[in-house]
Amino acid sequence: MVIYREQAMGDLKLKNLNKSFGAVDVLHDVNLQIDNGEFVVFVGPSGCGKSTLLRIIAGLEDVTSGAIAIGGRDVSALSPAERKIAMVFQSYALYPHMSVRKNLAFGLENLKFKRAEIDARITEAARMLAIEPYLDRRPKQLSGGQRQRVAIGRAIVRDPDIFLFDEPLSNLDAALRVQTRAEITKLHREMQTTMIYVTHDQVEAMTMADKIVVLRAGRIEQVGTPLELFDHPRNLFVAGFLGSPRMNILKGRIVIGDDGGALVDVGYGTLLRSDVDPATVTSGQEVLAGVRPAHFGLSDGEGLPFEVQYHESLGTETYVYGNLQGQSEQVIVHQAGHFAPAPGAILKIVPLEGRLHVFDPASELALARAGHGRA
Amino acid sequence: MARATGFADRALDLVMALFEAPINAVERLIGKGGMPYVFLAPNLVLFGIFTFLPIAIAIGYAFTGGTELLISNRPFVGLDNFRKLMTCDSYLVPGSCEESLFWTAIWNTLWFVGFNVAATLLVALVTALILNRAIAARGFFRAMFFYPVLLSPVVIGLIWKWFLDRNGLLNVFLQMLGVPPEIFLLDVGWSRFFVVVVSVWFHMGFYTLILLAGLQAIPKDLYEAAAIDAATPSRTLFRITLPLLGPNLLVVLILLMIRSVQIFDEAWVLTNGGGPGTANTFLVQYIYQMAFAGDLRLFGLASAASVLMGLVLLVLTLAQLRLGKKVES
Repeated sequence: MVIYREQAMGDLKLKNLNKSFGAVDVLHDVNLQIDNGEFVVFVGPSGCGKSTLLRIIAGLEDVTSGAIAIGGRDVSALSPAERKIAMVFQSYALYPHMSVRKNLAFGLENLKFKRAEIDARITEAARMLAIEPYLDRRPKQLSGGQRQRVAIGRAIVRDPDIFLFDEPLSNLDAALRVQTRAEITKLHREMQTTMIYVTHDQVEAMTMADKIVVLRAGRIEQVGTPLELFDHPRNLFVAGFLGSPRMNILKGRIVIGDDGGALVDVGYGTLLRSDVDPATVTSGQEVLAGVRPAHFGLSDGEGLPFEVQYHESLGTETYVYGNLQGQSEQVIVHQAGHFAPAPGAILKIVPLEGRLHVFDPASELALARAGHGRA
Repeated sequence: MARATGFADRALDLVMALFEAPINAVERLIGKGGMPYVFLAPNLVLFGIFTFLPIAIAIGYAFTGGTELLISNRPFVGLDNFRKLMTCDSYLVPGSCEESLFWTAIWNTLWFVGFNVAATLLVALVTALILNRAIAARGFFRAMFFYPVLLSPVVIGLIWKWFLDRNGLLNVFLQMLGVPPEIFLLDVGWSRFFVVVVSVWFHMGFYTLILLAGLQAIPKDLYEAAAIDAATPSRTLFRITLPLLGPNLLVVLILLMIRSVQIFDEAWVLTNGGGPGTANTFLVQYIYQMAFAGDLRLFGLASAASVLMGLVLLVLTLAQLRLGKKVES
């Protein structure tokens, strides 16, 4: 990349951010620190406020209260143009009446860059994104994937401190989505610029992010690396939202074992070993036990009786759908490779070591783990 | 057929029952391919009688002379009427033409078209740009600017005539400000100015509506992209809004030209028949005067003039149709 960064300017700090549209509160007291060069993904279901949060960072929406700082500078009152950010829109928002070259040049011309500098930046961005052959075409003459690249190119030539992506892959077909996902990740590795990426797709979040921010109903539910969130979800929502198929949730009670450890009794005479800090729970306390489908193992001896309804074979893996004997809630069990249990068969299943998540049914929060405090 | 439930459904059933048999009979007679023409026929008959037939008659009259009304009594004169209209020492000087009033009317019309198109386009564009913003009482303003379109041209002419009269509202205002009264409609400059003003006021709502529709079709995120791209408001207007509004602007431009060439009724009422003198005598008024208002009923000359005007309008209309298709695609 010709454009050398002189100093780290791409760190972002959101402080006590609130946003309402009329009487509707869409963001509640959002606090977030993003370090320079991080790839951060905002993820959450529709209407959770993730796009609004991105647009607030971009300056396309005002904040109701709170402050935004980029590179240590308070930008809350600045226009989008003054924030040194660039944004890739879900719709791409390419100027339809301009050639690709003019689309890329428009922002630089507005900033009164010299012609030679504009040309150099366009050439470099076009090379990085392999869009040189299309520079003189109009957006209408390009495929969805090519438009996507042009939209990213328009952001790159600006050399922003922060890239903002608003669900950029949602208009692409599945194959192109996987490919573009990898390209954006590669781009981030090359440029080392802060990128904030909004998606409702947890696979994008898991595969692309250095750091995931899970949002629900305008609140940040949890912030962490993809595996932190996957392995130690802070609450039931995060546990259910990340990971596919969803985590299985079983009702149970705490039993303090002979060795003083906290076990979970979900019935059927089998006690499940947990890493819950026994000092924080009492025997008999009601809990919800979560186990991801892939974290159930089959057992020859003791285990929970799992009644098979049907299975889905994907070739490299198999999902078995059923329920615990005598219960109606669906339970899903994942097995690697080929596996074809007969409908109605009873399998014995046990959670893998250290893979049991325990939540408080009232607060929906994960119970504190021994030696860790709350997740 | 689904069971009829509401009143409208029952009425429809009744109509269907009434027409089904005869229509089926016609279809058996002429085949499915002919049916569209059967359905078009009532409209075509009306169009034929009140539009196509008069056009044909006018073209026929254009080649005849005399003052007789019935074409069978009129002598064929070939291109005489056209020759008379086009005989000029200099087209720039109406006085040097055989039909000087025709050329006066042409030049008056051309000037009117120029000023009226420019002024209406500008006012409609600015109004549309303002109404496209999130201003208070936007719906009210949209309606208000459109209301004049609903009025009759004669009513428009009369209202403004009262307003501009020697004792009209405008002069009352001016006197309150200490400005001496002016008889606007008896002054060549002022009367021409106000013919344009009235026309702009009358028609701008319609064009504003077309432009507003065009503005609202421009995706909002393009403006957001432009904001992030550091485009100033004026650059956004000239580099984003106007280019994307281009097709609508072209349609408006051509519609405006067509309708400006046809200026007649409101101007005729406002200026007491094209005055002062011939300062506001336009092409349609010339045609009207030649055929119906003069001492001699020169139907041939009037028809020849309207054929010429029709050709100009035809070219403009074809352009409009082509552009309209382009805008749709």
